[in-house]
Amino acid sequence: MRLPLVNLVLVLVSALFLVNGAIKFFRREERQTFFKLLSYLAIWGSLMAFGLFPGLSRNISQLLGFGENLNTLIFFGFVVVFSALFKLVNSVERLERNVSEIVRREALEKLERIQERQNGHGC
Amino acid sequence: MRKIVILIPAYNEESVIGEVLRDIQFAGYPNILVVDDGSADGTYQQAQQVEGVIALRHFINRGKGAAVKTGIEGAKMLDASVVVTMDGDGQHDPGDIDRMVKLVDDGYDVVLGTRVMDAATMPVWKILANKSGNFFTWLLYGLWVTDSQSGFRAFSRRAFESIETRTDRYEYDSEVIREISRHQLKFIEMPIAVRYTRYSQTKATRQTLKNGLKTLFKMFLNS
Repeated sequence: MRLPLVNLVLVLVSALFLVNGAIKFFRREERQTFFKLLSYLAIWGSLMAFGLFPGLSRNISQLLGFGENLNTLIFFGFVVVFSALFKLVNSVERLERNVSEIVRREALEKLERIQERQNGHGC
Repeated sequence: MRKIVILIPAYNEESVIGEVLRDIQFAGYPNILVVDDGSADGTYQQAQQVEGVIALRHFINRGKGAAVKTGIEGAKMLDASVVVTMDGDGQHDPGDIDRMVKLVDDGYDVVLGTRVMDAATMPVWKILANKSGNFFTWLLYGLWVTDSQSGFRAFSRRAFESIETRTDRYEYDSEVIREISRHQLKFIEMPIAVRYTRYSQTKATRQTLKNGLKTLFKMFLNS
């Protein structure tokens, strides 16, 4: 079986990420969970499968009843993923702002104490 | 009597902060407020040792924008009438403060210190980064300035009481430009001297390409 260059690159990149993810999990590195390993297997494993078997996407779309419209489905998948990512980034930003506000209040308490001391001396 | 507060956000500037503060005092500005942004070195302790300086501290690093915002809140508590922000690495010349304050006295709300974009005085990569920053600031916030990323600025009371910023890191500098436009504050750009020392060019916390792209992304996100 001769694979086109693009498929070959896809397989190699997927393999690289799969091996990297597996090594990190089995080394029990920080923040590596079984769920993360499963996600790696699902995402990079399916990409690898699509790279190795170019006819797979057509078979799946026919099986699911999409005919030749699998690309549309993938496009909507991307839209959903990017929307979710955008919401996530916004939530993180909001959290960051809240953290900054807490840190700010704590820092300004010192200035309040200095002013209270000065006012106390002034009386 | 009007009170001029010099505000310095500082992060890991232990080796230079003391000298920077003494230079400012020597230039005739005794009211200095340093906000140490969670430095891992002795920046806070060094600032505290300089007599007359008020040093505040973020217990964790929150970014330049967050530190300046803390300082502005502090300046309000100190009843400041003019706030001048300067970098803590010594690249700004305290000799320029007089002219900035004079412009505020002349009725300007914001004085933007503008570095001379000349390859002889400024590294080329920095000129390119600055011009990109100016372009995107104009694109997103609708106001063209020649140095949107300069940290040397003076604000009248009207300005620092009306400016509302939300961002924590380097995108803060551009956000101020948006606020100038939004509140129709009277501003002027003033050429400033910049001292590019070996220290300021090699310190780990300087703005890098990676940080620049992150700043740009956040500018888009917050625009």
